[in-house]
Amino acid sequence: MMTDDSGQAVKAPAPPPGASGTPAPETRGGGRRVVGFVREHLDADSLRQAGLPLAVLALIIYFTVQSSVFLTITNFQNVGLQAAALALVSFGQCFVILTAGIDLSVGSTVALVSVVCATVMKDHGIVAGILAALATGLVVGVVNGGVVTRLRVVPFVATLAMLSIASGLALSISDGTPVTGLPDSFTNIAQDRVGDVPVPVIISVALFFVAWFVLRITRFGRHVYAVGGNEEAARLSGVRVQTVILAAYVMCSLFAAAGALILTARVASGQPTLGASIALESVTAVVLGGVSLFGGRGSVVGVAFGVAFVSILGNGLNLLGVSSYTQMLILGLALIAVLAIDRQIGRDRKEAGT
Amino acid sequence: MAAVAPFIRIDGLTKRYPGVTALEDVSLHIERGEVHALIGENGAGKSTLIKVLSGATRADEGRIEVEGEEVNFASPAAARARGIVGIFQELAIESYMDVTSNIVLGNEPTHGPGGQILAFGRADTRAREALDRLGARNVGVKRRAGRLGTAQKQLVEIARSIAMDAPLIIMDEPTASLPGSDAENLLRIIMELRGRGTTILFVSHRLDEVRAVADRVTVLRNGRHVCTEQASEMPVERMIERMVGRPLDEVYLPPETEPGEVRFRANGLTRAGAFEDVSFEVRSGEVLGFSGLIGAGRSEVMRAIAGADRLDAGSIEIDGKTVRVRRPTDAIRAGIAYLPEDRKEQGLVLTMSCRENMALPSLRRFSRAGLVRGRRVRDRTDDIARRLQVRGNVDAAAKTLSGGNQQKLVIAKWMLTEPQVLIFDEPTRGIDVGAKPEVYRLMHELAARGAAVIVVSSELPEVMNVSHRMIVMSRGRVTDRLDRADFDEERILTAAFAGHARTRTDTKAA
Repeated sequence: MMTDDSGQAVKAPAPPPGASGTPAPETRGGGRRVVGFVREHLDADSLRQAGLPLAVLALIIYFTVQSSVFLTITNFQNVGLQAAALALVSFGQCFVILTAGIDLSVGSTVALVSVVCATVMKDHGIVAGILAALATGLVVGVVNGGVVTRLRVVPFVATLAMLSIASGLALSISDGTPVTGLPDSFTNIAQDRVGDVPVPVIISVALFFVAWFVLRITRFGRHVYAVGGNEEAARLSGVRVQTVILAAYVMCSLFAAAGALILTARVASGQPTLGASIALESVTAVVLGGVSLFGGRGSVVGVAFGVAFVSILGNGLNLLGVSSYTQMLILGLALIAVLAIDRQIGRDRKEAGT
Repeated sequence: MAAVAPFIRIDGLTKRYPGVTALEDVSLHIERGEVHALIGENGAGKSTLIKVLSGATRADEGRIEVEGEEVNFASPAAARARGIVGIFQELAIESYMDVTSNIVLGNEPTHGPGGQILAFGRADTRAREALDRLGARNVGVKRRAGRLGTAQKQLVEIARSIAMDAPLIIMDEPTASLPGSDAENLLRIIMELRGRGTTILFVSHRLDEVRAVADRVTVLRNGRHVCTEQASEMPVERMIERMVGRPLDEVYLPPETEPGEVRFRANGLTRAGAFEDVSFEVRSGEVLGFSGLIGAGRSEVMRAIAGADRLDAGSIEIDGKTVRVRRPTDAIRAGIAYLPEDRKEQGLVLTMSCRENMALPSLRRFSRAGLVRGRRVRDRTDDIARRLQVRGNVDAAAKTLSGGNQQKLVIAKWMLTEPQVLIFDEPTRGIDVGAKPEVYRLMHELAARGAAVIVVSSELPEVMNVSHRMIVMSRGRVTDRLDRADFDEERILTAAFAGHARTRTDTKAA
């Protein structure tokens, strides 16, 4: 045959985009190993969008120039508080989207968890309330995952149904009114700080590391990527695809439950309408963060930047007195802009042959 | 003393799909340490058999025993647990993951209790070792798998089965998508694996390759077991006859028609970097063969004639009138039909029914006053489907058909348009030997009705038997023109290799 022996020319592996041109500073022994480790696990996919961190930086600079209060500790505490719940929900959403699914029900899951948690907590105490919240998240996740894997309903429809069901349940249980009477020691979580850092921010950072760890370092995490990247390949390699998908939905709902706890503490009541916009915001943050809706690509690091972008944009526009209607419009345009830039970068990279 | 149970015993296996019985009462056994080849036409049941054996699908009836113990694999994971790994044609590669992750996928080494924390270092070592054993030292374990070439991806898949020390590796046409030297390398690897005691069951259409590496050969036809014999006692001709169920000289049909007037003429066709100054004519009723090596520029010439690529110079005439072809629709309007090599990819709307697919480009002719005449469509499509022996339900979606049958659909589709100039690029690639005569018969029939037929083929017996005349190309140029009386294997090969250093592998491929 006349074709090339090797099929394709062998190209040298490309350096991760973030690291190109700037070699890591020389460190000794253990230090170098750490650098190597971080590079290996925080590389290409994590920083697939070098554009997004830059966009976040640009936002910060712009709002600092435009508003005297933007770059203050108080304001950043504010941003952190607002971002914490969205971050948790988005990290969970990231698991599902990595399997090429989507969870539209996270918003009403937050509402349901809030109502159940408050109802239990006001009579049986904080621990029971938190356990009830997590149990609710678990049940929602198992049902979502079960409908997707056993009944083979496409994720969009399955979770759309759950959106309605969970919302209906939340409204029924609470009779449509806020559930009050939560202990102060619980609601104070939202106000407490360690040093200058609000506790909800600490919680979300801690859970960020949990998500990062699970996705990068565990077998389950690897299988989440495998299922989303090529489901058939995963199946033929002996990965229990259905179990992995089910577990991803459970992770998603558990993270949503954690987000619901923070929001519930902040509003000091169980709210049946909590988190109405959080489903779309979380998908926005995840997609902005470079996670492919087709699954298998992206990382929770990118998602964290996505959350930062959405939160800082909202906060800054508030400070500038932009109406919330206009903010929605700007957020939509920003989403398109960031994705367009990302496509462009991706295309350049492809043409460069890396 | 009772006889030792064979490694794998398959007994009375039956698998039915809607409308098709893919396997019917198939029994055979596989001995430990042998290379066992599975051959048969498309739709003979080879793929189904290996899918059942590797847990990718379940049989309706029958039993499988591994070392005397009955098994019933519910999933590939279950088959793997018994040491059986399947490698399929659609490569199971995670494109976004690195090579290591692909090789250890589903079998990742982990730290500590619970088996969840990945051991990255050990995974790399294991992947490296497996690749080295395959002689694939140039495949880096940190490279992203999606960026590897086909041959390398295949090595990654084989490395996956080696990394888990699978005693039985099943390969579905492992060399089908590989160029000559990579295919030879793979055969060498199969022999090496056998030397280490691995049992290999492989499906192949390349019969010379089966002769070269297999210990035993099993032939399937129409879902039934025909025979299992020692490869050394089975020449290629006998394999084909067993697969087809009829003598070989009934396969390649010679042309029947006397050519008439010149119907198609190409003058000095040139496309920079692909071909230069290619001129030829085809008469009405004539079949003109194009021979040459892969990459000689034959397909490129045809693509340009069909409007898929631009010509830099030259002109095309049909019935003495110059035709300007700039895009495929121009060619179709001028009566040029081009059946590309890659028929499945380019030719079908997989979700539509077979009938609709076949009728698609001919709807205008099947209509009166804008209304499709259903009965006419039915009659014509039934007729052509029957003659091409399309196996499956023609009213079902095209995706329900096997690969070879999908190819037949595309051929049927273009044949129904009754073109003036019909270009076949590798007309019977991937088509069962049994249906080949039908393709040739239809081809000759269209010629008899006055069409000019061009056949590009890398299969020398095919092009030598079915054509009136032949053009040989090498490196983008016409290197020889032969009339049927002058057809001679040696002369054709010489022309095909003009300008090339001739090697053993090349000769075999031509």
